[in-house]
Amino acid sequence: MFERLCNILAEQFGVEPETIKPETTFVEDLGADSLDLVELMMSIEEEFDIGEISEQDAAKIKTVGDVLDLLGDE
Amino acid sequence: MKIIVDAMGGDNAPEAIVRGGVLAAKKFGEDIVLVGQEDKVRAILKVDGTENTPHLSVVHAPDLVDMHDDPATVLRKKPDSSMAVALKMVQKGEGDAIVSAGSTGALLAGATLFCKRIKGIRRGALAPVMPCAGGQMLLVDAGANTECTAEYLLQFAFMGSLYLQKLMGVAKPRVGLVNNGAEDSKGDPLRLEAYHLLKEAGDAGRLHFVGNVEGRDVPLGACDVAVCDGFAGNVMLKTIEGTAKFMSAELKKVFLRSLGTKLGYLLVKGGLDDFRGLFDQDKIGGAPFLGIAYPVIKAHGSSNETAAMNAIRQAVEFTKSGLIDDITANMEFMTIREK
Repeated sequence: MFERLCNILAEQFGVEPETIKPETTFVEDLGADSLDLVELMMSIEEEFDIGEISEQDAAKIKTVGDVLDLLGDE
Repeated sequence: MKIIVDAMGGDNAPEAIVRGGVLAAKKFGEDIVLVGQEDKVRAILKVDGTENTPHLSVVHAPDLVDMHDDPATVLRKKPDSSMAVALKMVQKGEGDAIVSAGSTGALLAGATLFCKRIKGIRRGALAPVMPCAGGQMLLVDAGANTECTAEYLLQFAFMGSLYLQKLMGVAKPRVGLVNNGAEDSKGDPLRLEAYHLLKEAGDAGRLHFVGNVEGRDVPLGACDVAVCDGFAGNVMLKTIEGTAKFMSAELKKVFLRSLGTKLGYLLVKGGLDDFRGLFDQDKIGGAPFLGIAYPVIKAHGSSNETAAMNAIRQAVEFTKSGLIDDITANMEFMTIREK
């Protein structure tokens, strides 16, 4: 799951997958803006086939680890 | 070819957009799909007696994107809005290009989310054609991305250069980096890094980079593609528009001063009309979003039917141009792995 997520992030943010860690933050480390975050949520929904991530859940996501936690809960 | 038109977007929608769609269907002979509140769209067609226009069809979308909606999330919150439905039609292959005069931010976000960027392109950019001494120039980015990296600017330069080659017949577009001085040492860290990347591309013969250009030199025709971040680009765009209006108003005052000046006005009226025509947004129609995997044209928010028709013309030309394939083919020259 982590590897698949890293591939999505590498593609979207133009970074090497191996540089991504669970503690990597989207805004500070990857330079994500609000559009990036929405795009990321849509990519995750599609890749992991989990339906629409709610705004409340999306608002809690700050790090790669937060996404892994969310996917674990699904 | 099928052009999808957001019939409900813009200050004069749906009337002006619907009528522009009818004009385009008659003039270009390509299929035009008007997406919006079907009863309203059909009522306009009925009043005008244009319900049976060949190549014209209507797809119902009950909801609207409001100018106050958050651009990044509105299309997920309003999946039945005309803009969302139109974008999803293109995404599903039910259309070749989209035209909208609605919210710029929502269209960029929606195009990115539904139609996706060209693989490797970091950000879509708004690229209006502007009048300048000697003809026209392209301003990239005019407001889509307020914060940019040097790589974004490199990509804007390539996309702008290819756009001018493919759509406007400029053989070797001169690319300038908008900066606060012409010397290569000028600018903040972003501009210094971008200059380095653009110079490298220029030295390798992949771009015709003419160096830094100052804001005042852009309208004077210093370059064909003016590259900048969306913040600077938007300030420049609005400044040029405001300056043109100011000059026009002052000129009018001069000509109204006395009987002699009024007579003088009659002598130069033709030339002044030509000058005014340079700034006629209706003739241009709109601006492309470069970097999206499908042609996306942002028509002016205040589009009338002529502007809407011309925005559709741009979409037709963009679709025929093969520009997206050309951008894809040049991707390796505009990609920087940062980490």
